[in-house]
Amino acid sequence: MSIALASTRAARLAVALLALAGTFAARPAGADIGRPTVASINLCADQLVLTVADPEQILTVSWLAADPEESLLAEQAARYPLNYGSAEELLRYAPDVVIAGAYTGAFTRALLRRLGYRVVELEPEVTVADIAANVRRVAEAVGRPARGAALVAALEERVRRLEATRPAVPVDTVIVRPGGFTVGRDNLAHTLLMLAGLRNVAAERGLDRWGSLSVEALLRSDPQLLVMTGYRDDQPSLANAVLRHPALLAAARERATVTVPAAYWSCGLPQSLDAVELLRRGLP
Amino acid sequence: MTTRGVGRCAALAVLAAAAAAASLAVGRSSGGAVLGLGGPDLAPAILAEIRLPRALLGLLVGGTLGLCGAALQGLLRNPLAEPGLLGASSGAAFGAVLVFYFGLAGPQSLALPAGGVAGALAALAALYALAGRRGDFLTVILAGIALNALAAALTSLALNFAPSPYAALEILFWMLGSLADRSLAHVWLVLPLMVPGWIMLAAAARGLDALTLGNETAASLGLDPRRTLWLVVGGTALAVGAAVAVTGVVGFVGLVVPHLLRPLFGFRPSGLLLPSFFAGALLTLVADVAIRLMPPGPELKLGVVTALLGAPFFLHLVMRPRAAALPGD
Repeated sequence: MSIALASTRAARLAVALLALAGTFAARPAGADIGRPTVASINLCADQLVLTVADPEQILTVSWLAADPEESLLAEQAARYPLNYGSAEELLRYAPDVVIAGAYTGAFTRALLRRLGYRVVELEPEVTVADIAANVRRVAEAVGRPARGAALVAALEERVRRLEATRPAVPVDTVIVRPGGFTVGRDNLAHTLLMLAGLRNVAAERGLDRWGSLSVEALLRSDPQLLVMTGYRDDQPSLANAVLRHPALLAAARERATVTVPAAYWSCGLPQSLDAVELLRRGLP
Repeated sequence: MTTRGVGRCAALAVLAAAAAAASLAVGRSSGGAVLGLGGPDLAPAILAEIRLPRALLGLLVGGTLGLCGAALQGLLRNPLAEPGLLGASSGAAFGAVLVFYFGLAGPQSLALPAGGVAGALAALAALYALAGRRGDFLTVILAGIALNALAAALTSLALNFAPSPYAALEILFWMLGSLADRSLAHVWLVLPLMVPGWIMLAAAARGLDALTLGNETAASLGLDPRRTLWLVVGGTALAVGAAVAVTGVVGFVGLVVPHLLRPLFGFRPSGLLLPSFFAGALLTLVADVAIRLMPPGPELKLGVVTALLGAPFFLHLVMRPRAAALPGD
């Protein structure tokens, strides 16, 4: 009885000591500046965090963010510790807020919430308004609403400028991705094509979101501009072989083409609008 | 089971327990495997909330797959039978994918496994509606295979309409199975379905032995083959449906484990059930620990590693001269 009592007391003491140790455990610099520390576990969340948060707030970003094939901010991301998005490794960073994607790592997000972490989930960005909304959400989550508002204002100003300089006659365009994939409506890439003043032939044919386009269908649609997006060109895949189909190469020789890196199509960021300028440079 | 069999079964149980302990001791961080629990401030959360659910689910899910594999191979007297055969696995996967697709997975992640359980039960209900009246084994197997194919096709269809390409990717990975970042809530979710499933399978043990003599002989012994059939089918759907609902489809365990054990425990189906439970748990836990010992990088999926670990043993068994594979005791 008394032993049990003593051991309960010892356990309580141990818990109290643990809690104390937790309080004094090395806190990253973010705590000093009074803003929450942040960890992100999703490629798009990473890039928004890198854009919006103070560098001192960022504890870790996901490994994809440091891969230049995937990320527009790879160089910047490589300065931080990279995570693979598991709950156990995030616990070691003890962030005040975790930024995640709404569709990735469902179990990890739930477990982190259960452990008392604040988890902010970002929906994929399709429109410029979605980009603005996610910038504001991340800015609010990391305690920099003014920075968010400034980024959104600059984004909207840039959109107005791009809309004012849009070519008068839209140019028929098809995006060609590895595996013969193309892009329809309800998609960030479609939004960027519209901003560039291009007509997305696949969307006009009723394709929504993503879809595949055989080389034959692509040739029949007879676009004026081909937007080529390779992905890990040096790594062999059946999908990349489609990009080297002789008929496609012949079509590309006869038409205006422009190459846009895949990283531009995957996440909606203020920087995504750079793709619009890339596209305009390729206009016939 | 012979005395030797009991000893061997106990040894398997001890090994499975040791693998569960290893699962508690090994973690994974950005730099690769982590032995021990890390700092004292993190240890309670890491042990109780992250590694314990993972070890428990490895035990429960692996055990369930082994047990169901042994029961189904006994029931159908077919060495290719495995828990996925009756449509419960793919039904559960389809249910989970639907939840994902309609965006219900959200913050309450239990919606995902609950969808999986509903899918497994729906597959079972469909199986009963299709084959229950007749109740002959061939109809049940064929209906199960058809349901399996249908659920798999519907899953692919749902993937095609997934709202985000990343969602499609996530679902695909999820269908290879994983124990990563599950919580105790998932343990409580699967237990109320798994335990009745196990009980039904245990209740079928005697019937399975009688069935090895053929349906007619079993009937003449006063055992109703249809009762055995539905105990095994229902128990498998409940237990495997619950397993798939939280871990995704972990392949190979249910197929390979009974084969590995037959040379050790003989060919009597009832003697194979409990050993298959422990061996299934052992294989799954070892695979899950191996995942965490891999070099730094994103985690491999469990279904990939169980196949990598199980296939060599399986091939070894298949390649041995057939005579040597006859029962020893």
